[in-house]
Amino acid sequence: MKFIAFHLMPYQSLPDDFEQKYDSVWVTVPKQLFDPAEGHRMYHEYLDELELAADLGFDAVGVNEHHSNAYGLMPSPNLMASILARSLRRRPRTNLMVLGNSLALYNPPVRVAEEFAMLDVLSGGRLIAGFPVGTSMDVNYAYGINPAELRERYYEAHDLVMRAWRSDDVFEYNGKYNKLRYVNPWPRPAQHPHPPVWIPGGGSVETYRFSIEHGYSFSYLSYHGIKYARKVMYPFWQTNDELGADRNPYKAGFCQIICVSETDERAQQEYERHVRYFFDKCNHIHPRFAEAPGYRTPASLRAGLRSQFDGSMKSASQMYREGMGWNDLVRERFVVAGSPASVVEQLEEGIEDLRIGNLICLLHIGSMPKWLTIKNMTLFATEVIPRLRHKFAEWDPSPYWPKGMPNAAETAQSV
Amino acid sequence: MSIAEQHTFAIRPDVTFSVLSAGHGHPVVFLHDEWGLSWNPFLSRLAEQFRVFAPQLPGTGESTGLEHIPDLWNLVLCYLDLFDALELESATVIGHSLGGMIAAELAVTDPSRVNRLVLLAPFGLYRDDCRIPDMFAMLPQEIERRLIFDSESALAQQRLQKPTSVEEQVEQAIRRIQAQQAAAKFLWPIPDHGLRTRIHRIQCPTLILWGANDRLIDPVYGADFQRLIRRSQLQVIHNASHLLHLEQTDTVVDAIRRFVLEAETST
Repeated sequence: MKFIAFHLMPYQSLPDDFEQKYDSVWVTVPKQLFDPAEGHRMYHEYLDELELAADLGFDAVGVNEHHSNAYGLMPSPNLMASILARSLRRRPRTNLMVLGNSLALYNPPVRVAEEFAMLDVLSGGRLIAGFPVGTSMDVNYAYGINPAELRERYYEAHDLVMRAWRSDDVFEYNGKYNKLRYVNPWPRPAQHPHPPVWIPGGGSVETYRFSIEHGYSFSYLSYHGIKYARKVMYPFWQTNDELGADRNPYKAGFCQIICVSETDERAQQEYERHVRYFFDKCNHIHPRFAEAPGYRTPASLRAGLRSQFDGSMKSASQMYREGMGWNDLVRERFVVAGSPASVVEQLEEGIEDLRIGNLICLLHIGSMPKWLTIKNMTLFATEVIPRLRHKFAEWDPSPYWPKGMPNAAETAQSV
Repeated sequence: MSIAEQHTFAIRPDVTFSVLSAGHGHPVVFLHDEWGLSWNPFLSRLAEQFRVFAPQLPGTGESTGLEHIPDLWNLVLCYLDLFDALELESATVIGHSLGGMIAAELAVTDPSRVNRLVLLAPFGLYRDDCRIPDMFAMLPQEIERRLIFDSESALAQQRLQKPTSVEEQVEQAIRRIQAQQAAAKFLWPIPDHGLRTRIHRIQCPTLILWGANDRLIDPVYGADFQRLIRRSQLQVIHNASHLLHLEQTDTVVDAIRRFVLEAETST
């Protein structure tokens, strides 16, 4: 079992009445609410927290990309990752997960091949390269990508980046959206031929197939917990089995909010208001921006709309809006919380049920202060990880995890 | 309501147009808006006077091949191919909203194929001092309030009706989203593809109709179109918002009929 300390880097100082007073945390959130002095403090605290996670022996630290929002302060995750790459030199077992760069937003997408290669070299061959499509708020509304072109642009950019990494030669690329005479990014990645690729996605069958067929690891970045995730991870494994692929659990990851304390009661006392900050404010997205027409394919739409219209499955946000107490949040596993023993029990069940080898742990959530994040990470690393580490020991994670720097002899031979 | 026929024309191996048609006489091509096309009372009234062809935009209704049409220019060429397939040397072209923008671009690209142009509250121009709101960031009820002047009217009520079966609701929603997706391909994120630089090429007599109460595209745009198209006239339709041809069908059809007949006698 592998554990990643993942950080959204949310803006922590939204006003108490934010969700009553303002339309949306995404796309139209007023810039006046951002205080640079607060931002300065948060960035450095968050980087401290991720460096601590590396000291504590997490298998990776992780960042991701979002735009025009107070939910996560990382329009450029690569900037954060480059800072972490330096400090990881002293922490040899921890890898660097960027989950990731929204491929369709980079012009030309060669930029992603370049920056990821820089990060891979800086980190000593420890980069996990994430290729998300991006949320509709990010890619369509904030960055103006035409929804009718989004997926084509994404697949074309993927093709270009992978060829740029795999090819030893300068090549020409004549795509629909990218026309380049000379594709020859320097530097090339430290890992040969390229870093492991992870695909964060939602419930789209096309994405499962894409990830499985390319030998990538698929991650479901939901904030509604391991129970709700069945609706994605069950079909993912079903697709995997239909394709006749092996059942290596490291080809699947899931993101879970986790709150560890000495006792179950203390967990509620310490964490509830920060979890509420996340769900009430960071998830306060106006439905106008939920989805541009064409963001989802008709097949994915059909499945989603049916359960919406016949009431057979409530959306997670609908469940939350209808009112969930702390015990409901824990019972539904929106939050895995409690004493180390409770957390182990709650996670163990979900990990086996969903068959996920990569647990992407959200140990900072919402407005959580640094001292509490340190406590959470430390308790998780010392009391929880050792009791779950043995899971899936019979499987080999190496196809989906970084290989590190090739040693000098090999490098000399290959040149 | 007159019964329309529906025929499919493959203009390329990967692009097909489904065309609704009815009526006799002078040929009229109607290009629909960003909500898709089904036969409606406005088309029925038109078909009493004219031979009406109403193609569905690729990617909407039964028409296919949106993904093989990279941009607006190629879309315009597809419509010119459709004129060939319909054996229309030239026709009166009526376009509403998105369809109005396409109609104007057709007249720009090949003036010989458009003998009269009728623009019903078209997209195509954009003013920074009077921005068109982002309809792709509106909830369905917000859009409806902007589209129809009288929210109590039968039209407004009828558009809010939902099918009873879940299956039909799903299919209706998908048709709507597909129409919006196809429209977004040519209107996202700001509906300005540079018509202003080409609009002087429109040579035919042009009638511009605008709802006096249009809450999607301000009537000030009507005056702009009128100023930029040489042989054009603007008529403002009272008690109408953006769906003027469905809100004030008789007035709009009468205006079109008079315009086509006048143009016929003057040319």
